[in-house]
Amino acid sequence: MTAARPIVIETRGLGKVFSVDRAPIVALEDISFAVREGSFVSLVGPSGCGKSTLLQMLAGLVPSTAGEVLVDGLVVRKPAPDKISVMFQDATLLPWKRVSENIEFPLEIRGVKAAERRERAAAMLSLVGLTEFAARYSHELSGGMRQRVSIARALAPDPRIMLMDEPFGALDEQTRIKMGHELLRIWSKTGKTIFFITHSLTEALFLSDVVLVMSHRPGHIVGVIDAQLPRPRTYDIIGSAEFGAARNRIWKLISQDDDEAGANGMASL
Amino acid sequence: MTIRRLVLIVIILGSWEAVRRFNLVGPLLLASPSEIGGALIKSWPDYFVALRFTVAEIAVALAVAWTLGIAAGIVAGMVPFLGATAGPLLFSLFAVPLITWYPLFMVWFGIGMTSKIAYAAVSGFFPIAINTMNGIRGLDRRYVLFGQAIGCSRRQVVFRILLPMAMPSIVSGLRIGTALVVIGVIVAEMLASLGGIGYVISYYRSIYATAHVYLGILFALACAFVANWGLSIIERRFTHWRELQIEER
Repeated sequence: MTAARPIVIETRGLGKVFSVDRAPIVALEDISFAVREGSFVSLVGPSGCGKSTLLQMLAGLVPSTAGEVLVDGLVVRKPAPDKISVMFQDATLLPWKRVSENIEFPLEIRGVKAAERRERAAAMLSLVGLTEFAARYSHELSGGMRQRVSIARALAPDPRIMLMDEPFGALDEQTRIKMGHELLRIWSKTGKTIFFITHSLTEALFLSDVVLVMSHRPGHIVGVIDAQLPRPRTYDIIGSAEFGAARNRIWKLISQDDDEAGANGMASL
Repeated sequence: MTIRRLVLIVIILGSWEAVRRFNLVGPLLLASPSEIGGALIKSWPDYFVALRFTVAEIAVALAVAWTLGIAAGIVAGMVPFLGATAGPLLFSLFAVPLITWYPLFMVWFGIGMTSKIAYAAVSGFFPIAINTMNGIRGLDRRYVLFGQAIGCSRRQVVFRILLPMAMPSIVSGLRIGTALVVIGVIVAEMLASLGGIGYVISYYRSIYATAHVYLGILFALACAFVANWGLSIIERRFTHWRELQIEER
């Protein structure tokens, strides 16, 4: 379906070694994958497997210690805010700014004129359905609304790529499902390339074209699942046989890797 | 409400006056409101000169303490190693009664205004630096990442994101620091100086002019009051969002 589209993000043998008290700790090892233009790619894996570090390396926020990240065929060395927006689990809104000012902030930093910023913020607010909340402060909003503001802020500079680090991880399940639908609607409307981190297999599969499955110690990719589920997707799809089969495949990849790691651990004892 | 308050003030002043009129307390220990008023009418030009002296010292000391305190706090808060080493050092320096250093300040800066300014600025510096450092260190690191991701320079990350965010903590440091600057200037003047409100208080105490001592204290209070009032304006301007946040809970 997306096979013909060009590759926008590519990693080659990406690795990260931290040094803790002068002892090297391998956080990520030999990460290689490619993301095609306009596709929705998720990364699932257990907590602490280095998902966030990987995302920060894609964004140019953290240097790698091995391999490289390419965006549009160019090596990433520093953040590229005109191409890539990053979203975090906390909405990271600025509490002293109103909702519309928050959305304008990245544009302000880039020197966009006030009139154009306002227009852009209004358009983004209407896209995420929060027009009547433009003058509110973040603490007056619910968790889901905050994340929608955060999405609007990330979209405001019109990047081609959205990197999302467990953006709905702190929300309750109902809100989370609604936000998933909302994100798919925005994605289909804007055509962005989305790289989405989650530890929920269901969420990953429901949203994505491709699911990258990661395991820990050190963080590495254990498999790539092509979701092959029809779009547009509704909540019903989660109960379908194909969905269940795909989720089982992901689960097997993760648990197999755990077993191997366990066996290796035993052997080394 | 205001009428009740006025009545209360009249009652307090009246009984204060009565205590002196009926000589229940000796003239060395207490001066009546009318005696204090008389002292003001008689020697207001002296007080005007003294006040100018003190206000100038406070203003310069405040400017130095605020600027250096916030700057040092930012640096110590941003650089993890510095925070870990400078933090405890700042705390322990702050724990020593700074007044013990004052004789040295006299030797270094002389008996004039400079030694008062230096002493007061140093005593105001520590709480400001410590609160700024703690405010910045307490922030979620993701805000730094967010700033970098939208293309902020280092400077923009500090001034557009971290500093406003840490403002509630910084302002509470400014509150303590400003009070210490006002106290520092007046105490230093009382110990050894050529002029100022503290000098006036100390001088009249030595000649047992109690009314003038009370008047001097009132002027010192006025200095603290004005400084505090200025701070409230700053506080409202920069941390109103924080109060809204607290009200919400």
